[in-house]
Amino acid sequence: MSAKILLIEDKAGLLDTLKSLLELHQYTVITASNGEEGLRMAITHTPDLVISDIYMPVINGYQLLEKFRENPELSKIPVLIASAKTGEEEINNALQKGAAAYITKPFLFAHLHENIRKLLS
Amino acid sequence: MDTANPVDNNALLNKASSIVAITAHEFKTPLSTITAVVDLIAAKLQADGLMNSFYEKNLSRITSEIFSLNNMLDEMLTINNILSGSIETKKMVVAVESKLHTIKEQFQSFSRNDKILQINITGTPVPIFVSPVQLTHILTNLISNAFKYSRENDPVIHLHYKEKELEISIADDGIGIPEEDLPHLFEPYYRGSNTGGISGSGLGLAIVKTFVTANDGNITVHSKPGEGTVFTLTFRYPDSKTNS
Repeated sequence: MSAKILLIEDKAGLLDTLKSLLELHQYTVITASNGEEGLRMAITHTPDLVISDIYMPVINGYQLLEKFRENPELSKIPVLIASAKTGEEEINNALQKGAAAYITKPFLFAHLHENIRKLLS
Repeated sequence: MDTANPVDNNALLNKASSIVAITAHEFKTPLSTITAVVDLIAAKLQADGLMNSFYEKNLSRITSEIFSLNNMLDEMLTINNILSGSIETKKMVVAVESKLHTIKEQFQSFSRNDKILQINITGTPVPIFVSPVQLTHILTNLISNAFKYSRENDPVIHLHYKEKELEISIADDGIGIPEEDLPHLFEPYYRGSNTGGISGSGLGLAIVKTFVTANDGNITVHSKPGEGTVFTLTFRYPDSKTNS
């Protein structure tokens, strides 16, 4: 059975392209375009892994990480943050709030895939 | 107009600095999408058995140019932060060799280059007292240049733990730097007269020099056109610095 990935990204073009790339690599992908929708999808679908942006409307990536940490079921799901922010402060903040990994945009899919494999193994 | 209030001028500069930061950051969204689209086209061609050397070479060229553009944006953001005084140098004890291995791994996973960074270490490792973030920036920039300009051989980094200081040299066998360019090498926007066709913003070495100085280090360069370039960094150990 293929791993189920929840992809949370507010830029529609990037969301669609990453979804297609992940599906080409045999993952089951569900998507959300903001943190609140992502949180709802995570509770309903219990994905094996979440890939999320930080700066999104409604609930941002940091708030999403906090909500995951507060929920015993969601806290078991690894969250990989993919953000264009490269600052030490943003990276440390995400890791302290429970992100399992942080990659900076733009990234090669090979780099994302390597991180996905590590987090799912 | 020339008697403008200095407070207004500062407010204007701060606003300009914010605009640069926001614009540079906003550029990253389309760059991320283009990178993913190129990866998707390559994956689809591969899956359909249609990939050939023509597609491979040209798709890889698009990706490489996107990352060059992204590096320029990062350098612009960094120099903007330096000029607006919003960069802090938070120093701590850093083991350079372990940081270097992490940087090497990142280069291997990111780059589609066939060359591998060679690491030589001599002497007994002693940590140095620097900002880990800025040290990473310094090493990443110089190693990236060494990859960019290397021709036949792998780029080489040598950590030489001397009695009172760590000497780090980064060498390539690239096109070298003409003698007349050497005095200007660390000036912002200055690019060597023989770098035509090799992308760069001209900001990288200015940032490196600023960070080296902020961490009480020193940087020198030796180069011969047609033979290659060696950048040498020195950082004194915390104890020897307080004793001197």
